[in-house]
Amino acid sequence: MSDPSSINGGSAVAMMGKDCVAIACDLRLGSQSLGLANNFEKIFNFGHVFLGLAGLATDVTTLSEIFRMKTNLYKMKEERLIEPESFANLVSSTLYERRFGPYFVSPIVAGINSKTDKPFICGFDLIGCIDYAKDFIVAGTSSDQLFGMCESLYEPNLEPEDLFETISQALLSATDRDALSGWGAVVYIITKDKVLFLIYFF
Amino acid sequence: MDIVLGIKVQDSVIVATSKAATRGISILKDTDDKTRALNEHNLMAFTGEAGDTVQFAEYIQANIQLYGMRENFDLPPKAVNHFVRNQLASSIRSRKPYQVNVILAGYDEAKEEPSLSWIDYLGTKVDIPYAAHGYAGFYTFSLLDRHYRSDMSVDEGLKILKLCSEELNKRMPIDFKGLRVKIVDKSGIREIDVGL
Amino acid sequence: MSASSFAEGKATIASEYSSEVRREPIEHQFNPYSDNGGTILGIAGKDFAVLAGDTRHTTGYSINSRYEPKVFDAGDGFLISANGFSADGNALVKRFQNQLKWYHFNHGKKMGIRSGARFIQHLLYGKRFFPYYVHTIIAGLDEEGKGAVFSFDPIGSYEREQCRAGGSAASLIMPFLDNQVNFKNQLDPESNGTKKKELRYLSLEEVLKLVKDSFSSATERHILVGDGLEIMIVTKEGVRTEYYPLKKD
Repeated sequence: MSDPSSINGGSAVAMMGKDCVAIACDLRLGSQSLGLANNFEKIFNFGHVFLGLAGLATDVTTLSEIFRMKTNLYKMKEERLIEPESFANLVSSTLYERRFGPYFVSPIVAGINSKTDKPFICGFDLIGCIDYAKDFIVAGTSSDQLFGMCESLYEPNLEPEDLFETISQALLSATDRDALSGWGAVVYIITKDKVLFLIYFF
Repeated sequence: MDIVLGIKVQDSVIVATSKAATRGISILKDTDDKTRALNEHNLMAFTGEAGDTVQFAEYIQANIQLYGMRENFDLPPKAVNHFVRNQLASSIRSRKPYQVNVILAGYDEAKEEPSLSWIDYLGTKVDIPYAAHGYAGFYTFSLLDRHYRSDMSVDEGLKILKLCSEELNKRMPIDFKGLRVKIVDKSGIREIDVGL
Repeated sequence: MSASSFAEGKATIASEYSSEVRREPIEHQFNPYSDNGGTILGIAGKDFAVLAGDTRHTTGYSINSRYEPKVFDAGDGFLISANGFSADGNALVKRFQNQLKWYHFNHGKKMGIRSGARFIQHLLYGKRFFPYYVHTIIAGLDEEGKGAVFSFDPIGSYEREQCRAGGSAASLIMPFLDNQVNFKNQLDPESNGTKKKELRYLSLEEVLKLVKDSFSSATERHILVGDGLEIMIVTKEGVRTEYYPLKKD
């Protein structure tokens, strides 16, 4: 009820494919049982790195703005965009700074390293412990449902089109069994030639 | 039990707030104004903990006006919204957070478009076509879902507001002494009497 | 120990350290329930129904048994499983089986699945204020020979469904079933995204594949699920059981 990470609701999921990654989230923002908005995106991109933030909405906004600032400073210092692996460590250390008064979020990161072309996904707990994964990462109020869906639908080395279908079906079916998630969804498919599809469902 | 409503129409925003000022079992006033004009084109409506609300609203008002004087440039709605969100988001992690929920109605003169932002005491901000704080949403969102169009005129918007007002008067357990209605558009902020 | 401590209504604990006599009142609280984990799954087909459950039995993080069946053939082509607190689950199943026997003595005929379901509602609601702590699913064939699955909440609300998962990993399995049995969120590929994929009965082979996939996925991600999968299949020929090992970690 007063658990900060489930006041607003919302979910996100990332998957690894063959030379591609996918990341998706729902669009609901609510206040306990009352649905307030169906346009609250939980995925943010900093160059070619994508960050999904499920959890307390105020912290989702605050963190997305913190990472916008930090990645811009990084870009100016390094004269290049941040890579997914480095960004994951940035997320981790930023969250751990607030070890004893944490942001109530479950972040996930997806992207393709522009130097090595290696796809990368990972997730975190609310204080920044990194969970590297070769297959999929789930987060949010429908994480149980997403685990069930991903564990049964996912297979390795999917092509972008098939990965899109898999992640979409996983997210849609999972959020349909969670009252706090849903109300629309966004799916991003990221390939190395930086082609990215953005698809909305309603 | 305070009512704070906002409806964004074609080129303006309608804001309605209840006129009752309640403390415990008494209605202290039936002409309360739960809004503050932040600048020419930005209006903030608020509800929450007694004491915190006006204190916070006037603090924001002062700072937005100070900015306008210093820079000789009024902050546009998007900047105002983010400033207010930031104040509340910092406040929630302080020793004594402001318990204030706000709705920000604005008109962006450069973009020539209205803006409506819903922000709660946690710093949760969403830009939505119609917004309400507290119990009012439970009674009015269904009506707004059914009748709202983004290309409505002010008069059409006021028609829906009337439906909302009737529903609130019918279902709310205590008399909220009617609604004070304000419009924010390109010519600024004005109060109108629509007999609600 | 002074007499006054009794007068004040305070009990004391005797220990080998006589000086450490506690003066706080001792609370005696018996918790009549526990959770024995596990998960179950029922799917109805055109002329068959299956009811499956894992065979792991746990309390907390301890595994009590790797093979403790919880899906039962109750007779008259009824499959029944009551997942949750196993003592209550077993008591419910035993009560049902016993009452079914009396039904035969009294009426000399088989009990229909719908009657069986309604009877279970009464067994559960009979303990409305001290409920059986279980999620119950029954499976069988209806009066037309079609597969039937009924699922119950702990106090007897029930519904006939095409499929249902219950127990610890229900939240993992249920959305998968919506997607793969009732084709939720799936479109007809021919229609260019304008039509929903049409419902059809799944064959027994397809259903068994889904059941095995559901349980191996649940085993992978849920610590209270695993060890073995027991699937009971009811057709007009009768009931048969299949067993498949699951991961034991």
